[in-house]
Amino acid sequence: MKIKKLTALFLSGLMTFSLAGCSGSKPAASAETVSKDSGKQITLRMAWWGSQTRHDATNKVIELYESQNPNVHIEAEFYDFDSYFTKLDTLVAADDVWDIFQLGGNFPKYIKNIEPLDGYIKDGIINTSDTTENFLATTKDNNCSQIGISIGTNTYGIAYDPELFQKAGLAEPENDWTWDDWKKDCITIKEKLGIYGSSKIDHFIAGVTMRASQTKKDANFFKKTNDGIESEDPAPFADYLKMIKELTDDGAYPDAGAIKEIKDIEGDYLVTGDAAMTWVSSNQVSSIVHASGRNIKIAPVPRLTKNGPYGMGVQSSQQLCISSNSKAKEEAAKFINFFVNDIEANKILNGERGVPIMSKVREAVVSQADDSGKIIYDFVDKIGNFPKEDSNVISPDPKAEIEDQYKLLIEKVQYGDVSPEDAAKQLLDFSKSKFQH
Amino acid sequence: MNELKTNWKKILYHNNTVGYIFSFPFLLGFFAFTLIPVLVSIYYSMTNYKLGQSPVFIGLENYKNLFSDDRFLNSVKVTLIYVITSVPSKLIFALFIAYLLTQKHSGVTFYRSLYYVPSLIGGSIAVALVWKTIFSRKGLANTILASFGVPKLSWLGEPHLAMGILVLMSVWQFGSSMIIFAAGLKEISPTYYEAAEIDGANKWQRFTAITLPCLSPIILYNLIMQTITAFMAFTQAFVITQGGPNDSTNFYALYVYNHAFKWSNMGYASAMSWVMLALISIITFLLFKTSKFWVFTEADQ
Repeated sequence: MKIKKLTALFLSGLMTFSLAGCSGSKPAASAETVSKDSGKQITLRMAWWGSQTRHDATNKVIELYESQNPNVHIEAEFYDFDSYFTKLDTLVAADDVWDIFQLGGNFPKYIKNIEPLDGYIKDGIINTSDTTENFLATTKDNNCSQIGISIGTNTYGIAYDPELFQKAGLAEPENDWTWDDWKKDCITIKEKLGIYGSSKIDHFIAGVTMRASQTKKDANFFKKTNDGIESEDPAPFADYLKMIKELTDDGAYPDAGAIKEIKDIEGDYLVTGDAAMTWVSSNQVSSIVHASGRNIKIAPVPRLTKNGPYGMGVQSSQQLCISSNSKAKEEAAKFINFFVNDIEANKILNGERGVPIMSKVREAVVSQADDSGKIIYDFVDKIGNFPKEDSNVISPDPKAEIEDQYKLLIEKVQYGDVSPEDAAKQLLDFSKSKFQH
Repeated sequence: MNELKTNWKKILYHNNTVGYIFSFPFLLGFFAFTLIPVLVSIYYSMTNYKLGQSPVFIGLENYKNLFSDDRFLNSVKVTLIYVITSVPSKLIFALFIAYLLTQKHSGVTFYRSLYYVPSLIGGSIAVALVWKTIFSRKGLANTILASFGVPKLSWLGEPHLAMGILVLMSVWQFGSSMIIFAAGLKEISPTYYEAAEIDGANKWQRFTAITLPCLSPIILYNLIMQTITAFMAFTQAFVITQGGPNDSTNFYALYVYNHAFKWSNMGYASAMSWVMLALISIITFLLFKTSKFWVFTEADQ
């Protein structure tokens, strides 16, 4: 008797499993029925990276959406940049990516996991009538497929404290200043004020990708096709490494240990008053201004030569994408539409991710901007008006590994293990080797 | 039917059945999360598997590449330096404290628990963050130096100092070795010490002639356990130094992690893990081999 009962139990268990399997294998259909029947609950998973300000604002927007759409529940996950991509990589391997997720210029690596949005735009679920083709193009892949909607545009710059510049007897940076000017300023600040000239610079952009684009108009470090390296001459990279080494030796630039102490933009040495300049992404300026409580201005990134190309335009800093294995793609698309078009939502987000691409939303955000916000919008406009260049804003798959190798090479140069010239050659060799399969 | 029933009863009431049922949760976890992944990683170590791509078999290519990878060889070097410096210092310190805490004083139990606390919270991120703050530019360590008029040091910016900080943190987490030493010290019969005292042996002589030989099996145990733990050091380097500066604390486990999760090179990382297993096995084996020269057991006295 017992065995019969057990078998029955086992079989019924098996049936439940297989039933669950059935419903799982037709995700699209079930999601559709659910979305038509608004009484049923839908759960969307969403994830992003960023600072605490961003987490708080985004969570508030999610609450707003949930209150307007009671049948939708959004499970939010947020991380810092590195952990975000570690988590994403594991989810990719498990084929279980969040329904809605944030990506940057490194999207080609995840292209298989991204649902193209063209269909949703055509059906009017995502309304893009309020933006321009140029802005949409910042989040298209090589086949012109819309892989995401930009939720902020940015550009890089050097934030500085004008008062410290004055104290050191320096003129404020011009729009066409050069890396030589930057270096001299760093040394003077160190000499006169005893603090670092500059806090942490994003060496990979300043010293490699943007630098390559500054050597010649339309030049790039990574080929536009993203299958190799365009740069061949190590000299410009060697010069940059040499400059950083000299500044580090001089105490005008933080050593590797001091750099590691900077946890986030609020702890940057410009904020703490230990440096007069720092590298920023334009959307970070208001965090810096608020955290430091001082007057902070932003200048363009220095150039290689006074009249040379700038090497970088305004680009999408991040975008929202829908996962190709999502079971509720339509609902996810509706949320993205809300996120980029809703005025109330964007008043909460306050352009923290960058300047919004939708014109009405941008107006609303600009009109509520405080002084630090105005600095950002003026700066992004200024860079947007620089002569157009054909720079590659997409990062190929091996970029993360090349960037980490470059960080090591910089430290090797700083500690005198390798000469700047050799390090520049090693950078090119290593980068090339990563594209050979 | 009847026969089936009796057979079933036989199984159900067999002594071992209960054991299997109770160990089932563990076995499930062991197979699903330990044994199978371990076996699968042998296969992956012979492929060019990258997260998100399908693996292609490449034989021993990964293993060959390892030995021409400078960063890998450097990570082996710094891990060995870490093991060789941290393990003996930790054991000596643990033995010293254990020795003090087995003396007859009032409140010894209180101190014993107190000294065990760092080990309880030892491997955690929180302690690593505290450690990082202590040795930051304006941290406690530099404040103390400054009060003695010594110039500030860039603790995390000098390769040797950074390694020193990690070794110091490991030594500070001496609690578990200390508890085992303390237990071992209590096992040593007081009659040996009494006899030695009557013969006029001083404290140091008693320590080297009685305590150390009697404690040697426990020293061996602690040595092996701590060596294995030290080889797998990860959290400290990950949180405090991120392998830097200049790769001076790029520990083996950290380098494996970076390849696996940062750069998605799962195949290469798997190969590295297997080399690590081989390395730890060889060193453990050597430690056991040397033990017959210095470990004193009652069986072969």
